[in-house]
Amino acid sequence: MADENIIMGHAEDNDGIEEYDNSLPDWWLALFFACIIWGGIYAVMYHGYQQTSQEKLYLAEVAAAEEQWGGAAEVDLAAVEITPELIAAGEPIFTQNCVACHAADLTGGVGPNLVDEEWIHGGEYADIVKTVTDGVPAKGMLTWGPILGDEKVRQVSAYVYSKSHQAN
Amino acid sequence: MSSNQPVVYDDAIVKKFLGATLLWGVVGMLVGVILALQLAWWPANGDIPYITFGRLRPLHTNAVIFAFAGNAVFTAIYWSMQRLLKVRMWSDGLSNFHFWGWQAIIVSAAVTLPLGLTQAKEYAELIWPIDIAIAVVWVAFAINFFGTIHIRKIKHLYVAIWFYMSFVLTVPILHIVNNLSVPATLTRSYPIYTGMTDALVQWWYGHNAVAFFLTTPFLGLMYYFLPKAAERPVYSYRLSIIHFWALVCLYIWAGPHHLLYSALPDWAQTAGMVFSVMLIAPSWGGMLNGLLTLRGAWDRVRQDPILKFYVVGVSFYGMSTFEGPMMSIRAVNGLAHYTNWVVGHVHSGALGWNGMMTFGMIYWLVPRLWGRKMAKESWVGLHFWLATVGIIFYIIAMWAAGVTEGLMLRAIDPDSGLLLYTNFLDVVHTLDPFYWMRFGGGLMFLTGILMMFVNVFLTVRGSGEPFSAPAAAVPAAK
Repeated sequence: MADENIIMGHAEDNDGIEEYDNSLPDWWLALFFACIIWGGIYAVMYHGYQQTSQEKLYLAEVAAAEEQWGGAAEVDLAAVEITPELIAAGEPIFTQNCVACHAADLTGGVGPNLVDEEWIHGGEYADIVKTVTDGVPAKGMLTWGPILGDEKVRQVSAYVYSKSHQAN
Repeated sequence: MSSNQPVVYDDAIVKKFLGATLLWGVVGMLVGVILALQLAWWPANGDIPYITFGRLRPLHTNAVIFAFAGNAVFTAIYWSMQRLLKVRMWSDGLSNFHFWGWQAIIVSAAVTLPLGLTQAKEYAELIWPIDIAIAVVWVAFAINFFGTIHIRKIKHLYVAIWFYMSFVLTVPILHIVNNLSVPATLTRSYPIYTGMTDALVQWWYGHNAVAFFLTTPFLGLMYYFLPKAAERPVYSYRLSIIHFWALVCLYIWAGPHHLLYSALPDWAQTAGMVFSVMLIAPSWGGMLNGLLTLRGAWDRVRQDPILKFYVVGVSFYGMSTFEGPMMSIRAVNGLAHYTNWVVGHVHSGALGWNGMMTFGMIYWLVPRLWGRKMAKESWVGLHFWLATVGIIFYIIAMWAAGVTEGLMLRAIDPDSGLLLYTNFLDVVHTLDPFYWMRFGGGLMFLTGILMMFVNVFLTVRGSGEPFSAPAAAVPAAK
């Protein structure tokens, strides 16, 4: 629409500021309506037609990841042999990720002491693997399973287990 | 309705608010630059608890939003509403109570926040006694504001006044509802809301603080000071009505976009997202009315640094009101949320829109208030370039940092399906160069406002050519 530049004639009421009464630019109006219509369509598609939710989308992503990377055979933790190689592989993982809370000598700090006689979540090898994998979110320990992966969790748990048994 | 007695406007209150704007602007931005340095080089906190990042950051945001931008808006209101309504403020006593009360609140914020006294709600950190003081001072201001409208000599309310009204009415509602809490001690209280409700109320407040503290009153400022400086008619009265009502009706729903992918119910997340997208056109209505008002004055934009501030300010408004809705889209938010991209976004609004509009207003007002041209006229143009280039450095650094960070945090090793960057510190250190670049941009912006501070100080002290305002006539038709 062409600008007519018609003066409103309010200037003396506006401290000398004059106003035109130009029409709304067509493209601006089209943008306004397009965004409103898009908003309606989006809401209907998301909640109505697709019947989706963030929970469903999350579960779908997890299932897809399971499909692609899952399927590794369950390891019988009770049967895992704690070899010197396994322990040695665990040491750098501990140094990199665990010392900030459990200290380099495992005597604890922010997190509990790992070389005293007390175990809050169990001191068997399988218990340690479980604690590292799931973390203790309520106390601030991360869920390390998805970060480290099962293999590194087994290695670092072997390191902790061996240190604990040397001490006691 | 005109009377023969000339109205004597209260310009002393305008001068006070203008001075406070400058002072708190320097303080707020200096603190910002210190924080930027701490992020790039943590020993900059000097191992002093009072100036560690967690305590200084809310001081920075409160100083820039409520002290710098707040005082700027009050300067604009006290100057322009008296002139638009052709009447002195209803009560000089309330004007001064408003001024001194507001400054006392800012000072108490500057004391309590470094001491670690906080409600831990973003942009609502101040503890409950200060919250009550804010409500009291605001009600005094509102009485004075609407009292002045009541006794006005001009029946017609110019568009700037509508925008100011939405600010004066909505801010106390947001403030009071979000801060409802049960005091436990003098410095501690518990919100009456719990869990997700608390978060939703907080972001209903938080986002509408952006809307009704940093957007609508600044649009009022634009509608008065931009056509005044450009000496051109406002492009479209019709557009100003439509975009005003669209803006105030839609903005109030957009808050949940701060809580996408949270425990907030999906339907509320969708509402926050689609209302944000619907806001693009109403926001751009303001930008269009600002830029198109300059039609026929582009030759003067080349010469006049005040108009340059306005062009860049309005352009940044248009840019950030497009960027914001994009970031509210679920998929984009999944990448952008919790990254420096958000920091860049708010600074293109605060530095680009609020900062530049305020600077343009101050350079226009100072000669009219003190009757002298700026003492260092060449510094005004220099300030403009420092500020503009500083913002550009800032937001480019934050875009790059935000996208880098977002992509690193979600990167997955294609062989194992595990996260690629398991150590958060690796991500942090990757951002170091961007943090230094942001520090540089912020330092430029700070240098600019320091130059303005000195310039205004010298002008007020009396070293400047005499200034007489040009005849008020605004050339109408082309």
